[in-house]
Amino acid sequence: MIKEKISSQEIIDLVASKASVSKRAAEEFLKIMISTIEEGLLAGEVVKIKNFGTFKLQWNEPRKSVNIQTKEEILINGYFKVVFIPDTELKEQVNEPFAHLEPVELDVEAKKNELIDENEVVSDPLRIFTEQASEIKNLISEIQALSKKSSKPISEEELIQEIKLYDQENDQENEEVNVPEKVHENIIEGINTEIINQNNQVVKDSIKVEESILIEETPQVQDNSKESSDEIAENYTEVIPINSENIKTESVSDLQSTPYLENIKPTNKSKIRILILLILVLVIGSGIGLYFYYKPTKELSIEYSIDKISQKISISEIINSVSKWFTPEAKSSLKAITIVVPKDTNDYDSINENKPIDSLQILFENPRVYNNYIASERINVGSRLTILSKRYYGIKDFWVYIYEANKEIISNPDNIAIGTIIRIPKLDPRLIDTTNPRCIEKAKELHDIYIR
Amino acid sequence: MNNKELIASMAAKMNAPKSIVAMLLETTVATCTELLVEEKTIGFQSFGNFEVRKKEERLSVHPSTQIRTLIPPKLVVNFKQSNILKDKLKDMQQHD
Repeated sequence: MIKEKISSQEIIDLVASKASVSKRAAEEFLKIMISTIEEGLLAGEVVKIKNFGTFKLQWNEPRKSVNIQTKEEILINGYFKVVFIPDTELKEQVNEPFAHLEPVELDVEAKKNELIDENEVVSDPLRIFTEQASEIKNLISEIQALSKKSSKPISEEELIQEIKLYDQENDQENEEVNVPEKVHENIIEGINTEIINQNNQVVKDSIKVEESILIEETPQVQDNSKESSDEIAENYTEVIPINSENIKTESVSDLQSTPYLENIKPTNKSKIRILILLILVLVIGSGIGLYFYYKPTKELSIEYSIDKISQKISISEIINSVSKWFTPEAKSSLKAITIVVPKDTNDYDSINENKPIDSLQILFENPRVYNNYIASERINVGSRLTILSKRYYGIKDFWVYIYEANKEIISNPDNIAIGTIIRIPKLDPRLIDTTNPRCIEKAKELHDIYIR
Repeated sequence: MNNKELIASMAAKMNAPKSIVAMLLETTVATCTELLVEEKTIGFQSFGNFEVRKKEERLSVHPSTQIRTLIPPKLVVNFKQSNILKDKLKDMQQHD
């Protein structure tokens, strides 16, 4: 750009016309002004002109230099230099074409990477923690698997042994034992599949036994029971006659497990009998199964009292083990919850975010009506809507609204004719909330629409 | 010497009231500013030239944080003293 140089004479003319004074007066004034400033400077003073700037002297130290052609060293004497420091007012006005530009940090990406690294460092202990947690979980599951494996063979092996021993025991005892066990069975039922399996086996056996019993006659059975020498089959045969004889007493003892036995009287109808037998055999069979399942941990003890203690221990152990089985589940469920929780919070956040968006959305969607105006501006050289926006709304992005309000006047927002009077609209403070990223986003959207 | 003192001394020299001098000074400043905004060079004879210079955009590196910042271009007013003034100042050197 070739700079147009304006001489003193032109300045004089301009000042004369503006201040409506004669050119002579203006000339005189300017001369005096310059001479006064010079005087002031020569007196070593700092001369300040309002809204223009400050003149002051700067001492340049003497320095050595070399003559390029002759390569002779020359000493440049120290001298005073008049320095002009423009006032902020003048600075801003002169720099207006570039006022909307701001320094940009270039190493943002590098910075971000650094931040990520820091995050990784921060997350390390957390990761270690989760790793540890998973390790512990694995260990627990392994222990469980081992305990299950170990308990199973023992129970199966000892089952046979105990069945033999059990045959010698009184059936009455068996019934009594059965009752408390039943209660526990209710607790454990559904959790311990092994027990159920065993029970099923026993039940199957018992059904077979029952069938055989049906064929036989009761006295024979009684005889057989007195003998009580052989395996399970006989054990059951023992049970049945007692049942048939003392149904009432036993049904009372069995109340908890089979309440409807009470109603059954020693009728000779075979169907009812079969039913009773079946139920009793089932109950007893399950009782035996449970008994043998609980017992294996302890060494074989024939005495009932010891049995009871052992049962208690075994039951408590089982409960412990059951609770152990439960805990990982609970943990896993807890984990599931913890996984769910952030999801939920995310959802919640999104909902929260959506709410203000909705109210703003309406504001954004509605066509903006510009009725009130704060000010009006004349477009000069270097004037820009962004600069006006920054001046009135605090941020340059909201220039779109000024454009919208002056759409009839402005044909091209990038090139507004000099001298155009632009009105600055009064805007909803929610719309030009500089702290809300949504507002800026919306303004940028509009910017993209208008600048194409 | 601030604005007031300048006006006072000028008024004394011109034999004119301060208000008129102040008004004239203001208009002069306003005229100069306008001209400078239009990126024109103003030359005052025997005093110096006022001109607008464009400082190009540049990279600045923060010495301690090493953050590189792009400084946008800007327009600045520059004053260059005339040789007459320079000579006058040379004479002043003795005072220093």
